[in-house]
Amino acid sequence: MAKTLRFRFSRGQKLKYIAHLDILRVFERAVKRAGISAAYTQGFNPRQKLVFGLPMSIGLTSESEYADIELAEDMEPCEFIARINKGLPEGLKVEEAVPRNTRDNIMNQIAAARYEIVFEVKEPKSLVEIEQMIHDFLSKEDITVEKKTKKGFRPVNIRPLIYSVSAEKMAEGRFRLNAFLSAGAENNLRADLFMQAFCQETKLEIEIVSMHRKALYAAACNEWKDPFEVAND
Amino acid sequence: MHPLTMMQLKIDDRILLKVEKPAKYTGNEWNMVRKPLDKIKMRFAFCFPDDYEIGMSHLGMKILYHILNKRDDVYCERAFAPWVDMEGLMRENDLPLYTLETYTPLSEFDMVGFTLQYEMSFTNILNMLDLGRIPLFASERTEGMPFVIAGGPCACNPEPLADFFDFFVIGEGEEVINEIVDEYICWKESGESRNEFLKRVSGIEGVYVPSFYDVIYNDDGTVKSVTPKTPDVPARVKRRIIKDMDSVDFPEDIIVPYIGTVHDRIMLEVFRGCIRGCRFCQAGFIYRPVRERSYEKLCEIAKNSFESTGYDEISLVSLSTSDYSALPDLCNNLIEFTEKENISLSLPSLRVDNFTLGLMDKVSKVRKSGLTFAPEAGTQRLRDVINKGITNEDLVASVRLAVSGGWDQVKLYFMIGLPTETMEDVEGISELSINLIESCRDVIRQGKALNITLSTACFVPKPFTPFQWEPMDEMEVLMKKQYHLKDLIKKRTKNIKYNYHDAKISFMEAVLARGDRRLGKVIYTAWSKGCKFDGWDEFFSYDKWMEAFSECDLDPKFYANRKREYTEVLPWDHIDMGISKEFLIKENQKAYAGDLTRNCAAGCSACGAQAYKTGICTKTKRGLIYGENTEV
Repeated sequence: MAKTLRFRFSRGQKLKYIAHLDILRVFERAVKRAGISAAYTQGFNPRQKLVFGLPMSIGLTSESEYADIELAEDMEPCEFIARINKGLPEGLKVEEAVPRNTRDNIMNQIAAARYEIVFEVKEPKSLVEIEQMIHDFLSKEDITVEKKTKKGFRPVNIRPLIYSVSAEKMAEGRFRLNAFLSAGAENNLRADLFMQAFCQETKLEIEIVSMHRKALYAAACNEWKDPFEVAND
Repeated sequence: MHPLTMMQLKIDDRILLKVEKPAKYTGNEWNMVRKPLDKIKMRFAFCFPDDYEIGMSHLGMKILYHILNKRDDVYCERAFAPWVDMEGLMRENDLPLYTLETYTPLSEFDMVGFTLQYEMSFTNILNMLDLGRIPLFASERTEGMPFVIAGGPCACNPEPLADFFDFFVIGEGEEVINEIVDEYICWKESGESRNEFLKRVSGIEGVYVPSFYDVIYNDDGTVKSVTPKTPDVPARVKRRIIKDMDSVDFPEDIIVPYIGTVHDRIMLEVFRGCIRGCRFCQAGFIYRPVRERSYEKLCEIAKNSFESTGYDEISLVSLSTSDYSALPDLCNNLIEFTEKENISLSLPSLRVDNFTLGLMDKVSKVRKSGLTFAPEAGTQRLRDVINKGITNEDLVASVRLAVSGGWDQVKLYFMIGLPTETMEDVEGISELSINLIESCRDVIRQGKALNITLSTACFVPKPFTPFQWEPMDEMEVLMKKQYHLKDLIKKRTKNIKYNYHDAKISFMEAVLARGDRRLGKVIYTAWSKGCKFDGWDEFFSYDKWMEAFSECDLDPKFYANRKREYTEVLPWDHIDMGISKEFLIKENQKAYAGDLTRNCAAGCSACGAQAYKTGICTKTKRGLIYGENTEV
């Protein structure tokens, strides 16, 4: 039993077309539909105490998103899962939940993300060629891209935010990049910006087929940790 | 035998991920109806001729979606006008307009129904039919093609759209739509021709099949007559209404969109109609008589809707919520529930008095910013002309109350171009507003002044109002008035922000609102030239519309700026909205005399709606039974 829970959820094909704030609203409404008593913030416009690990952009699917929720009364994690899933639409599903006691909420803990990006090349390429491109790409010390900020576009060197990249061949002309990127409130590198940089630097012409988030990690004691592992630090 | 071709489109991510807000085109929202198709005898596509975010805010669509989908033999699905980015990609990729429920092209449906909420959405209808691969003209549709139908407020003058629709439904749809569906299923099983079905439905009260009527014009371009081609078709089509608001089905399991929409909340329809009878207001006449829901029923709907949707906001919907006879009971009961569940309650269309301010203090968790008042005209004389029973003193008292209660901003709505209006009346708008600022100096926080956002719309004369004969102000006159007001305000104060409507859009609205059947070709021509989303400033093209008029050899001013005689046959005279022409003539004369007409709660004025024998017309008050003891 716990008043504060951390849960992991997945977002499938059917729900990938909506923006992060819309996902937040879906969860708030699901909580209400499920009859779960959430804790609310004070003030003019009370909101549920619900915090998400990392925003999801339109088009991204994920098998591993995290959020923290504060409830008005104690609840078993398994009961929470059963109830909220009844209020969630097809395409969003809470997979796991644990009690949470950290002072840091999930948003502050997330530090890295693993992505799978499937694309098709416009001109024939072999896996070896793609791998060479990745190698050359990662050898650069400076990869500057125009990052969209609130005040317009700003040049940013994203090289330090790329931890590792590998490629697999899916079919003729179709490849998958596995990218391990910095994530979180401070140094976030979105998968689409990463791909933009990759194409910009390698001059590779592609069409993206899908982008999928495989996992999110927290950083603790110089190690990447599952966010559930740091729910009670 | 049913065209259950299961033609489900696959919409490629390469299209969806290129458009803004792709969730407008993917459906799958919470409470979207899913049905096995094998039991379905009729598939209905409900079309809203505007963007998803507007259409999904529309209560009428929610009601009919619910009513139709309650039946096991019908599947009602939704389609909206795709935004221009999506339309471009659809045309480029040869993708037809489809419904959000099953991704089925519109052309595969048995019936395609449009709601006519505002005139400036008419070209979007043509665009949607074209994208849905349905012939635009009813006369070009053949056996096996969908029937294209329409309803909603603009159907009260269906003539400008007569060429495009197989039939119109006049009035409230909850009952008549079921009668139409029943008839359709029988017809379908009979194997009769398309025309036979139209004959069948023309016998249903409220259904208007325009192709069954001949329109003859006089030499001067006015209508000479609209007459049925055969004797079995009614000479006048009578509007349908719902008699008992408590027993008619109301949707509680409404669709909850993923993306924000204009009215993204539970809408509680408190009553239909309006007791006021403001002479410019079409809604005030075409929805008569006032019929209320009981507060018990409304509370029940509120609770069930909340459980089914998880919405955190409920709004009361009506033309004038203050006139609801059980407002304190309703609010007290609702507040008890909304506070417990952290729901915010919004109360639009309220007059400001001590009761409502106390209420707003209780329910309003938002900043005290947006209070709206609609004096509509700047002088008492003109307010009397339009039967807006509100005085300067009322307004000052209300605004002072609001300011004392902590509000320091108000919105004021006016109209420019009302019948009999002079420059003095226009100047009155600025006088009145400045007077409000001055009157609140002693009650507002020190160092502050009341801030006013002042908006003026251009008056557009509408059918079935006492002003249906009136000429609209010439566009140049309207603009002159707008600029004059703008200058006046600029000279006098910095505390008023003035917005005004585009007179050109209003002019087109006026043409379409009182048009006749000949406008069909103008609408078609305008659409061919690329007109769509005409209600949106960024898309409206006055020049294209004017080109369309000249190509069709018609004069838009004939429709907008011409004074009609009482004796003239109006293009909508064969539609019976339940309001008598004699009453409207009398109201028109009273307007010129500056005489007020009392509201329906104070006494009956015999407008004609008493013939429906329901709602406020049957309520006893002060010993009078309205509708029977009619003193005028």
